[in-house]
Amino acid sequence: MKTEFEHCIRCTLCVENCPVFRVDKDYPGPKQAGPDAVRFRAGNEAPVDEWVHKCAQCKRCDVACPYGVNPSELIQAAQVRYSEEHGKGLAATLFAGNYYLGLLGSLFAPVANAVTKNKGMKKLFRMLGISTYMTFPRFHFRTLSRSWRWKGDVKRKRKVVFFHGCYLDNNAPDLGRSMTGLLADLGIRVKVPRQVCCGVPALANGDLKQAKGFAAKNGSILAGYIDRGYDVIYSCTSCGNALTQEYPGVLDAPEGKKISENTYDIHEYILMLMEAGEINPDFAPLNKRVAYHIPCHLRSMGIGYPAAKLLRMIPGLTLHIHDDNCCGLSGSYGFKTKFEDNATQLGRIAGEAILERDPDLLISDCGACRMQLKHFTKLSTMDPTELLRLSLSNRP
Amino acid sequence: MKTENYDTVIVGGGISGLMAAIDLTRKGKRVAVVSKGDPVCCLSTGCIDILKGVDSPMESICDLPENHPYHLVGTGGIDRAAGLFLSVMEEAGLSYVGNTAQNRYILSPGGTRKQTALVPESMAHGDMEENETLNVITFKGMKDFFPGYVTAKFKNAEVYEFDPGIGSTLGIATKFDDPVFREAFVSWFKSQGISGGKIAMPAVLGTKPRVFGELARELDRKIFEIPTLPPSIPGLRMFKALKTCLQDSGVDLYWGRAVKSVEKDDDAIEAVTLAGMGRSTRIEGRSFILATGSFVSGGLYARQDGVVKESVFDLPAHVPGNRESWFGHNFFETGHGIEKAGIRVNKWFQPEDTGIPNLFVCGSILAFSETMKYGCGHGMAIATGVAAAEKCEEYLA
Repeated sequence: MKTEFEHCIRCTLCVENCPVFRVDKDYPGPKQAGPDAVRFRAGNEAPVDEWVHKCAQCKRCDVACPYGVNPSELIQAAQVRYSEEHGKGLAATLFAGNYYLGLLGSLFAPVANAVTKNKGMKKLFRMLGISTYMTFPRFHFRTLSRSWRWKGDVKRKRKVVFFHGCYLDNNAPDLGRSMTGLLADLGIRVKVPRQVCCGVPALANGDLKQAKGFAAKNGSILAGYIDRGYDVIYSCTSCGNALTQEYPGVLDAPEGKKISENTYDIHEYILMLMEAGEINPDFAPLNKRVAYHIPCHLRSMGIGYPAAKLLRMIPGLTLHIHDDNCCGLSGSYGFKTKFEDNATQLGRIAGEAILERDPDLLISDCGACRMQLKHFTKLSTMDPTELLRLSLSNRP
Repeated sequence: MKTENYDTVIVGGGISGLMAAIDLTRKGKRVAVVSKGDPVCCLSTGCIDILKGVDSPMESICDLPENHPYHLVGTGGIDRAAGLFLSVMEEAGLSYVGNTAQNRYILSPGGTRKQTALVPESMAHGDMEENETLNVITFKGMKDFFPGYVTAKFKNAEVYEFDPGIGSTLGIATKFDDPVFREAFVSWFKSQGISGGKIAMPAVLGTKPRVFGELARELDRKIFEIPTLPPSIPGLRMFKALKTCLQDSGVDLYWGRAVKSVEKDDDAIEAVTLAGMGRSTRIEGRSFILATGSFVSGGLYARQDGVVKESVFDLPAHVPGNRESWFGHNFFETGHGIEKAGIRVNKWFQPEDTGIPNLFVCGSILAFSETMKYGCGHGMAIATGVAAAEKCEEYLA
């Protein structure tokens, strides 16, 4: 057990940043759920605090804490322990294996899409503890992993492997192809490697063993590429957070440190090549007011907001950063009926803050954030890379 | 390793560092702010104390000991900084009242009168006389506010309780953001038949700046907020206003990571590297501002052997005598010796005896500031933040 929790001086800065504490009167907040409760959890006593599962693992408490305590890690350990001792429940078990659901969903995409839209099935979902306030993401048969795996010719100096994760692969493969296209257009050789789920859904649903299994598999694949001179690129910030923060940490992946050091956010990578003078993209004007919702897991990586830096280079574009609110969906969190109330309240709060600035368009790096905030704002949404491509393609 | 290049890198995301960043950004500089976490000002009342125990801060600054950092700023500089602060708050829709020439009072959660200078509009009516009639509205299940302390100090005081459905300051403030909840509250309020006098409530009237104004209009009474124990909503509102102002002007914020190492080229600081799980982020700057705060914020730390260290650049820190002389006998007395500890600077806010030309220091880390004794925490933060930024700008030019 790490002893950082002893550094907590109970200042409540973490509590001020906790989205769940804001809306749920039965959740004591990260200070009590984390460092305070850890003192009582030591030893062999079974944890009795079912409310630990109310934490959505947004990690805002970790970012806020000036004393180096990471309350979310302490809470996550308690969540895993609680699940191991009390069982996970059906919905959490299903979502932990999100990777397999995605495989099935994309293989039988028309059936899966009909099932998730069917009214009778929705009733069944609710009985199973799965929330239906939003439409489920659509599945696609022609996934990213089932399409052409190489882009850009062999002679190129920079070689990358693209870690797409589950969402881009099964639910937004066209966006994934557009991202690899962007990298290729910038003169980078891109490969889509064989990969499995990053492990976040399993970890978030209390299945550390399964999460570690995914991490081990990805770890050995990615380390192999890194050894051959590839960099690893992600776009999904929750996958990114797993690869850079959790593979060398709680998921203990083989070569975790190497993977963390050689893995880049797609925008971070483009910026790095620009600063090194290797590329010089010429951004054409886009006259738009853009709201940029920062995914919690981009915040928690501490790399700043690289997409914002790139987008500010586009003439005519006004960018408003929204990093004070969690969208509330938090991956599978909001898809569970027992957290639906929290998720919808937080979605409404985040949505209202965005609408107050009267944007033309909402962007976010995270597919789940986009889905949730589209639902609550009715704005059209985009990934930041789509906006970059739009600007680059506008050049005559 | 990734490199970022800026005109000025500010280490410390508290009120002093953020004000310095705003000042430099408005002068067209490319600025980054690095902070290992959220600042202590989020826990504050949101009021700006400039100098306590006096009628006019501006007239009494000259009576401070001659090594007090306020003398480096001067009254003109303090006024400039306060003006910048007020304009930023105004733009964010978070109006303030008061000025630097005349102290005023707000009502504290202990029922006492707290002296301060710049006050959020929501506390403006908190300047209560003992014989005035006071109606306190409290919230069911709220653990961090004790109306009895307040009403005990007034002859004519009544307490009313509203049930908001959640007990935390943050939870109730979030509810007040919602117009539907506000409507329900207003109709409850009107049904209570509350007689004359002012209406006081704990500081939970919305997380957003404009909520208070709307509620005051809907209730059509003299209402005001009383600061609460942390989490403190007025402190949070102020911090968010400063942060949004910076983000709208394109300043890069690196949050949640501490500075791991510092690179120097001869005497000048060249770059700082941020600690992280994986690849380090190296941030290059032509100049640096240190605004990491004092002991509570971790800018300074004291060792058992009586040595005081500065956390980021390992600057020599002023130590007020041996360890025995650091503390008075009564915890709550002000003027403990240790309050004088900090970084001594020259008139350009550069750390003395270091020869570092491109580092400027501001905020409560400055030696001799004694912010508790003089009641000048936020005032010092703002004044020295802007003053250090002005010196930094001269250096860059």
